[in-house]
Amino acid sequence: MERQTRFWQVALLALPLTVFAVLVIWPLASSFYYSFTNWNGFSADYDFVGLANFTKIYTDDLFRNAILNTIIWMVAAILLPTLLGLGLALLIDSRIPGGAMFKSIFYLPICLSAIVVGQIWVWIYQPDWGLLNTVIAAIRGDDMNFAWLAKPDTALGSVIVAWSWQQTGLSMVIYLAGLTAISEDLLEVCEMDGASTWQRLRLVVIPLLTPATVVVVALSVINSLKGFDILFIMTGGGPFNSSDTLAMHMYNESFKKYLMGYGSAISVVLFLIALTIIGIYFRQLRRVDEIYG
Amino acid sequence: MADTRAIPTRDTAMPEAADKPFDPWPAVIFIALVCLAVLFLTPTVGVLLSSVKTTREIALGELWSIPSALYLGNFTEVLNNPAVHRYLVNTLLVTAPATIASIVLGVLAGYVFAKLPFRGSNLLFLVIVSGMFFPPQVILIPLFRLFNAVGLIDTLWPIILVHTALGIPICTLLMRNFFATVPTALREAAIIEGANEWQVLTKVALPISLPALAVLATLQFTWIWNDFLWPLIFTQSDEKRTIMLGLVNMKGQYSVAWGVQGALSLIASLPTLIVFLFFQRYFIKGMTMGAVKG
Repeated sequence: MERQTRFWQVALLALPLTVFAVLVIWPLASSFYYSFTNWNGFSADYDFVGLANFTKIYTDDLFRNAILNTIIWMVAAILLPTLLGLGLALLIDSRIPGGAMFKSIFYLPICLSAIVVGQIWVWIYQPDWGLLNTVIAAIRGDDMNFAWLAKPDTALGSVIVAWSWQQTGLSMVIYLAGLTAISEDLLEVCEMDGASTWQRLRLVVIPLLTPATVVVVALSVINSLKGFDILFIMTGGGPFNSSDTLAMHMYNESFKKYLMGYGSAISVVLFLIALTIIGIYFRQLRRVDEIYG
Repeated sequence: MADTRAIPTRDTAMPEAADKPFDPWPAVIFIALVCLAVLFLTPTVGVLLSSVKTTREIALGELWSIPSALYLGNFTEVLNNPAVHRYLVNTLLVTAPATIASIVLGVLAGYVFAKLPFRGSNLLFLVIVSGMFFPPQVILIPLFRLFNAVGLIDTLWPIILVHTALGIPICTLLMRNFFATVPTALREAAIIEGANEWQVLTKVALPISLPALAVLATLQFTWIWNDFLWPLIFTQSDEKRTIMLGLVNMKGQYSVAWGVQGALSLIASLPTLIVFLFFQRYFIKGMTMGAVKG
């Protein structure tokens, strides 16, 4: 019996573990290895350059720019979809007619690809006939030809809005799932005790939604770290690198300039950032588990 | 907002409503939601509108108005383009095998983690699941080098293989959580009857796991179909492009033919939209299950 169990453990795990090890774990380790070389992506041989790629990071203005943009991108990509998603979930949960339909409408963008979403929003920001300029022109009664995606001041923000439009539905459904877990009796008691809607929301509902918030924030962080496609299609990191994030910078250095060694060093930094965030996430998750069971 | 909640049934509600002042909140919330819904739908409607308008109309600023006549020229243009057929076939050739393979591997691993735990299996499970959280850029360069070395660059194989591997974390997580709810007594009964683990997995556990399989199929299909990064890295020739890559590529070909681009976006999104419309329940469940139980 014991031996048979051992056999099946090995037999069933062999294939998934091999695939995962070869195509995920090994490349992850290799990234560290290549970050100490000057491999160019083509030639068979390369040299070890020690920490040169990492010291280059310190002097690379574009890297600093990318880190800064990544922070802005991530903070906005956490706050906007989380707050919007929470708001929508609370509104939909208030038992208005058509709740299921509203849910579908807000959730729909999630099934579109980042490429299609980017395409849609490029049209909204289009200077000559884009919806945004058309609406602003109608309100001001004046011509409006502002090129939102071509100006360094507005490019990143414009992409963040498009990104939030797509991600809000995800936060909303997680919050809705969280809201169904809050007992109605509790809310009734609050009401009988004379708590106003606002008090009930601030002191009871939102604290009880903490587990959902942890999940929403973690997902937002992870998704925003991965966010590449939508920037690629909407701005390509431009203009003048004003919307260049770490993932974008890594792609450009590796596959445009063929500095694969340096690109690996950037991806190692990206990995360490992700690792830190995941660590914090798992710790928070345990705390939430302890508090809320 | 809980005012409607506190009223248990309609019968008791009616007399009460008579002496209570009129409660405007449900109406206000409803109107607010309608406004937000319109705002949220606008971008999607824009694509729909563009696809049935001529380039001339759009350039004249008529994109956002209701069309007086349906112009289907954009769709015939796209559907008669052999490149689009190729892109769609390629995408299907990647998406179908990768979706199936990742689910199969997730089922195998998930079963062991749920029903045949061993020393350290929890740690191993955690390592696999954490693969879900990393930006794919981290493994881009080594994978490019690997597939370059074995001569598979510019074929569909690397895309299929990488999506299979990257699907393992979520598939293992969901299957383990689902198998954990299958009663152990069921498995033990089958074992006593003389079944081996493979038979328990395929004859007992899998047939009752159809909801979890549906969740994974919708999630994986959507993600892989919509992916852009891996085809971008692994393919070079137009022959091997997937639809999302084709979409970007054709922006050049149809640079000012906005309507054609709109029709193309719509056709590229159709499979995932259909999956979404019919399996929305599974899709949402998967998103929340994978997330909440993570």
